[in-house]
Amino acid sequence: MTRITIDPITRLEGHGKIEIFLDEAGDVANTYFQIPELRGFERFCVGRPVEEMPLLTNRICGVCPEAHHMAAAKAADAVYGVEPPSAAKKLRELLYMGFYFTDHTTHFYALGGPDFVMGPDAPVAERNILGVIHKVGLEIGGKVIQARKYGHTIVEMLGGRKVHPCTSIPGGVTKGLTEAERVEIEQMGRWGIAFAQFSLQLFSDIVLGNPVYLDLILGDIYTHRTHYIGLVDAQNRVNFYDGRVSVVDPDGKRLGKYGPDEYNDWIAERVEPWTYLKFPYLKKVGWKGFTDGKESGIYMATPLSRLNAADGMATPLAQEQYQKFYETLGGKPVHQRLATHWARLIELLYAAERLVELATDEEITSPHIHTVPTKTPTEGVGIVEAPRGTLTHHYWTDERGILTKVNLIVGTTNNYAPISMSIKKAAQSLIHKDTEVNEGLLNMVEMAFRAYDPCFGCATHSLPGQMPLEVAIRDAAGEPVRVLRQHC
Amino acid sequence: MKSLIIGLGNPILGDDGVGWRVAEAVRGLQPSLEVECLSLGGLSLMERLVGYDRAIIVDAMHTGHGRTGTVTTFPLSELPDRSAGHTTAVHDVSLPTALSLGRQMGAQLPEEITIVGIEAERVYDFSEELSTAVQEAIPVAVTAVLQEIEKWIHGLDR
Repeated sequence: MTRITIDPITRLEGHGKIEIFLDEAGDVANTYFQIPELRGFERFCVGRPVEEMPLLTNRICGVCPEAHHMAAAKAADAVYGVEPPSAAKKLRELLYMGFYFTDHTTHFYALGGPDFVMGPDAPVAERNILGVIHKVGLEIGGKVIQARKYGHTIVEMLGGRKVHPCTSIPGGVTKGLTEAERVEIEQMGRWGIAFAQFSLQLFSDIVLGNPVYLDLILGDIYTHRTHYIGLVDAQNRVNFYDGRVSVVDPDGKRLGKYGPDEYNDWIAERVEPWTYLKFPYLKKVGWKGFTDGKESGIYMATPLSRLNAADGMATPLAQEQYQKFYETLGGKPVHQRLATHWARLIELLYAAERLVELATDEEITSPHIHTVPTKTPTEGVGIVEAPRGTLTHHYWTDERGILTKVNLIVGTTNNYAPISMSIKKAAQSLIHKDTEVNEGLLNMVEMAFRAYDPCFGCATHSLPGQMPLEVAIRDAAGEPVRVLRQHC
Repeated sequence: MKSLIIGLGNPILGDDGVGWRVAEAVRGLQPSLEVECLSLGGLSLMERLVGYDRAIIVDAMHTGHGRTGTVTTFPLSELPDRSAGHTTAVHDVSLPTALSLGRQMGAQLPEEITIVGIEAERVYDFSEELSTAVQEAIPVAVTAVLQEIEKWIHGLDR
């Protein structure tokens, strides 16, 4: 095969790109997945007060501002060495559950779900949320809109405004919860539990009840045996807001747990010449290239990873689903990437149950929501689970709290290596010498990365809108054979 | 008739912040107008439009052709719906898809949505600064917004 080095500079055209290189025989030799990177964030932050970070970082991207707000607030707590009061932590977590509820709902119904509800090779114009509603029923659309509305309302109530919250500060939060608001959230949470159960039933009927889809999920095309990481509480149960990061190997054996200030002992980053983004891997296992297995330090951080890295869920209904999940899929850990869609719905149920738990916690309306920082600021790390992976913020400041250095490892970055591997494996499994490369087939390649729910911070809001994606297939000479490029 | 002017974009991402600057300038000139600055797309943007009869969205455009700072006014229907299939929308649905969804759900959404787009240059570098040509386009875009509002007031066709 002709070796082609792709110069990332020529690729910064503002779209994600999957390039599939064929060999002389017409089989897939290699694939590259590239995404444009936003530049200069650290430079932008240095010189600003650390307490601005919860506001600034939630502007990094339009997809998960709440996650950045939380990680930044926790990192700022750590910089000031201040412990927020228990009620403040619960209020932050309550806001965060509202966000998770919206985010996971949107992914299932608008993004991941259409592949299953409509079918992987359904015409592209139908493979979207409108197609889903057309097929499953109009009332489902109403439920999705309602679910999003409730999530937004909770975020606004606690975060001061919709989508981009502004109430978390070093040492706690600036806004408490009234009894009337508490009652409202409890009601929304109870509705949410029923909605999550409905969604799981829908998944069970449409996906698990269809042997073709079950084969697709359990088949080899979308399977990788990697390490998994995810935040867990003291009992090793999944937690989105707080705890330590559990690391398990491909056999499910826990290699250890790390706290925020230990992340550097566990995570290292690999640089490749063909992309600006770095590939994080487990330092203690080492980088062995784009390969899976116990000897390779490549890990994944997604809803599926969180379930694999934990011992269970902290709420009863989600725990029942957790057990069913592993019983159905043949034990733990589950390596089949498409099972991430199911794992996400189990997390949706957990988020709703946790909403109700927190809303009925007697401390939640407490007025003690802030501890005044008194120590000299230095350095701190904050970790939360963003919907699409473990999110780490690390700040360094001078003695006045002015930022001197910033390092972020964002959700999707964790998964850059496994996403790249999944795309390659799907392409190699599906594209052969005499295969007709049609849209349905390319969609099945895309399904390999859609399961990860990748969030590219680069999806700016410039018109014409979302980040476009291009899939290009090149022959052994590097000449394009087929390009699917709907968005440019 | 209930109307909304939206400045769209990311205020810390270079030229992507121009929508906010234009919206703020419009608010300064016409304090009685309902003006919002948002960093939203797709479903969330549609949700913000519920209850309005008409809207103007001011945003940076990055088409890659056309001179930086060029201001273009056009109806939303002329914006290609590039993510009708979600192949290309990695994390949201497009605004037209979201609007269709909202309408199917019975939401009251603006019949008339006008886009005022400003061709941008730098939208991948964190900065609060605008490119010179984009900065200079602000008064042009403000005028374009005010002209649209004039048309509403006088009931003139486009």
